[in-house]
Amino acid sequence: MSNTKIRVENLYFSYRGRSVLRDVSVGFARNAITALTGPSGVGKSTFLTTLNRLWESTRDATMQGRVEIELQGRMRDVYDRGMPLTELRKKVAMVFQAPNPLPMSIAKNIAFPLKLAGERHRTVVAGRVEQALRMANLWHEVKDRLQDDARTLSGGQQQRLCIARALVLEPEVLLLDEPTSSLDPAATDAVEELLTGLKERLTILVVSHYLEQVVRISDRVVRFADGTIVAG
Amino acid sequence: MKKLHELVAERLLCLSALASSAITLAILAFLVVMGLPLMRAGGVLPLVYSPWAPFQGSFGIFPMIVGTCAISLASLVLAFPLSLGCSFLIAAVAPSAVSRGFRRLIELMTGIPTVVYGFVGIFLLVPIVRELFRSGSGMSLLTAALVLGIMITPTMTLFFCDSFDRIPKSYLDAAEALGASRTQQLLHVMLPLAKKGMLTGVLLALGRAVGDTLIALMLAGNAVQVPTSVLEPARTLTAHIALVMAADYESPEFRSIFTCGIVLYLFTLTVTFVVRAMGSAKDEAA
Repeated sequence: MSNTKIRVENLYFSYRGRSVLRDVSVGFARNAITALTGPSGVGKSTFLTTLNRLWESTRDATMQGRVEIELQGRMRDVYDRGMPLTELRKKVAMVFQAPNPLPMSIAKNIAFPLKLAGERHRTVVAGRVEQALRMANLWHEVKDRLQDDARTLSGGQQQRLCIARALVLEPEVLLLDEPTSSLDPAATDAVEELLTGLKERLTILVVSHYLEQVVRISDRVVRFADGTIVAG
Repeated sequence: MKKLHELVAERLLCLSALASSAITLAILAFLVVMGLPLMRAGGVLPLVYSPWAPFQGSFGIFPMIVGTCAISLASLVLAFPLSLGCSFLIAAVAPSAVSRGFRRLIELMTGIPTVVYGFVGIFLLVPIVRELFRSGSGMSLLTAALVLGIMITPTMTLFFCDSFDRIPKSYLDAAEALGASRTQQLLHVMLPLAKKGMLTGVLLALGRAVGDTLIALMLAGNAVQVPTSVLEPARTLTAHIALVMAADYESPEFRSIFTCGIVLYLFTLTVTFVVRAMGSAKDEAA
């Protein structure tokens, strides 16, 4: 059985007529952390959004090519008409550069994706919230203040909360777009430690500008330049 | 040290603010002074809760208060879901070109004179209501509320759209990345975050409905009675003022319209204070 979790072939992406990605073909192994590096504006973040189709809400953007991800043991074309968007995004979760907790309590933030998925059973929700917070190494820090507004957490805690929120639906792929760029060194260490621990369960793609971080956490480095992959 | 032109501008602005405040207070004083003879003779409360029967010496405005509340609330009930639907379409559902075009159309609708809505109501809606329900002339609380509802819908829609526009994009991105559909984003993120702004829109639209004169005058039938059905005619405070205005200047009928004015003034004042209080609460929360 192949170890490939994500396979991208001949990917082209343009925004407002400007080419952002050109002929990108690459595969990513499961249960590994791959760092996407390169200068700003070369298409790394855009590449991430092509994997869970998050770019589709961007006006004046077009994409060509093939993206396949192994989901529930089967290689699926994510742009196939039979692929439900909500289902894809539950399995291919994304965490953004700046922490973006929703304006609600810590517990409600984590429970939000479950609510969207139609999970109403309180005991189940509470259990999954705790599990996700534990996976994100945040449980012990917030267990006594689950009803506090999530925006009262520190920046690092907020980012781990966002990771926990992405984990609650048990995704198979986790995409992170410069997840530590707005964090201090201690918070960065906490997020890096978390990601290293998570790779046993997940396939992780992380956009990073920090060379030390790339060396510390990644199993493989893919370098982007001028809209295409030049190394890795 | 301030330059001369800055000082002059500051003083002029201060003077303008003082003048508008003084005019607002002067209007209230004028209403009270003009209505005072009637209020002294019959007391303030009886004027508010007693019926309008000038030949029996009763100049109460109770039927008009009920008429105003009924028509404006009914119009709000109609306009709220319409505005919600329009704002959802503009803010979240429609493609950008359709959304822009639809928004311009709604903005245009806010500028249409009330009398045009009234004409459309008289020539199109009144016959339909008359034929459909076979009750009376077709000029009724329902007819006025329908047209008034359509008239306040653009105002409310634009307020709702502005409230949606103010929601930080990061919240919507987060919801989208978690698999929320557009409808789920609306229900679980946009509505809870926009509710204060939306409530402001509802209150201001209510203020517009209460203060409107022409629609009620042209379409409500103007019968001085407490309506017991939406198909019955009713008279609003503003329509009453317009209709009684022609009475003798010294007559109690004429004096009663100032009581109507005071009630409308106090209502507007209450709405303004509620909206302001909500705005301050929002600022504190932020």
